[in-house]
Amino acid sequence: MAVEKARAVIAEFLARAGKSSDDLSDETPLFGEGLALDSLEAAELSVMLEDVLGTDPFSSAEQLPQTVGDILAFYEVSSSA
Amino acid sequence: MIVTGGSRGLGAGIVEGHLDAGDRVATCARSRTPEVDRWEKEYADRFLFQEVDLSNRDQTTAFVNAVVERWETIEVLVNNAGVARDGILAMADDDDIDLVIDLNLKGTLHITKLVTRRMLARRRGHIVNISSIVGLSGYRGLSVYSATKAALDGLTRSMARELGSRGIVVNSIAPGYLRTEMSHGLDEAQLDQIVRRTPAGRLGEPADIARIVLFLTDPANDYITGQVIVADGGLTA
Repeated sequence: MAVEKARAVIAEFLARAGKSSDDLSDETPLFGEGLALDSLEAAELSVMLEDVLGTDPFSSAEQLPQTVGDILAFYEVSSSA
Repeated sequence: MIVTGGSRGLGAGIVEGHLDAGDRVATCARSRTPEVDRWEKEYADRFLFQEVDLSNRDQTTAFVNAVVERWETIEVLVNNAGVARDGILAMADDDDIDLVIDLNLKGTLHITKLVTRRMLARRRGHIVNISSIVGLSGYRGLSVYSATKAALDGLTRSMARELGSRGIVVNSIAPGYLRTEMSHGLDEAQLDQIVRRTPAGRLGEPADIARIVLFLTDPANDYITGQVIVADGGLTA
């Protein structure tokens, strides 16, 4: 459930940021090649995730997420805990 | 909107100005005052107060969360809270130095971080940092205080650059010497001297600054950003 919400937030964020979500997969890198998020965009995604899900992996996870899958995995762990 | 340290002095003037303008105002301070009690009665539907020590991160976070819970958004942040301890640095108490830095600087940075996250979510917002002319010109006996105020002006410039592309504008107001308790440590002779040197011929009033806050935080202002507006009756002209 949380994972699906996170997926929806990522899609909403990409639409707002004017980035394509066509070839999005769990392996898609967030930075550099891939979604090429800059630090401000990462902050925006972090806030949007926090708004919907109460926590976000950019602020709370031990390691900064590097891929779309890392974000989803954070909520898998959270919701199973 | 949030005004830190709005229970008395300049902060109370800023709160009053925005309540008069019809805004929803949340403020925090270490203790309540009769003004706070009055606003709670008079503006029950659009005024919120919490006792908060801004140097306490948990208390500050709880306050911001309470504002978001009540009003969902925070469109304006006025960083007004500040303390001063007068005396030359060579004789300063270490705990006093920590107190001033923890509140004026670290407390302000923490609440600004929290509130800019809310502003980023909506891609709009206005932030005003209340600094001081002593951060620009210096004042004997206020080294630590003036260091924190100069730091706020640096914060203003960096945040304006950092957040400008997201519709968030950030400015400082540097008041001169006001007729409030913040004329800390200045005796009557010093205040008289300041008035004599001030082209406007008087000390500042909270309303002088509150008007500028209203102007800078007007939703229509999306072009003045990263600036320090000096309001000192011409003292440093």
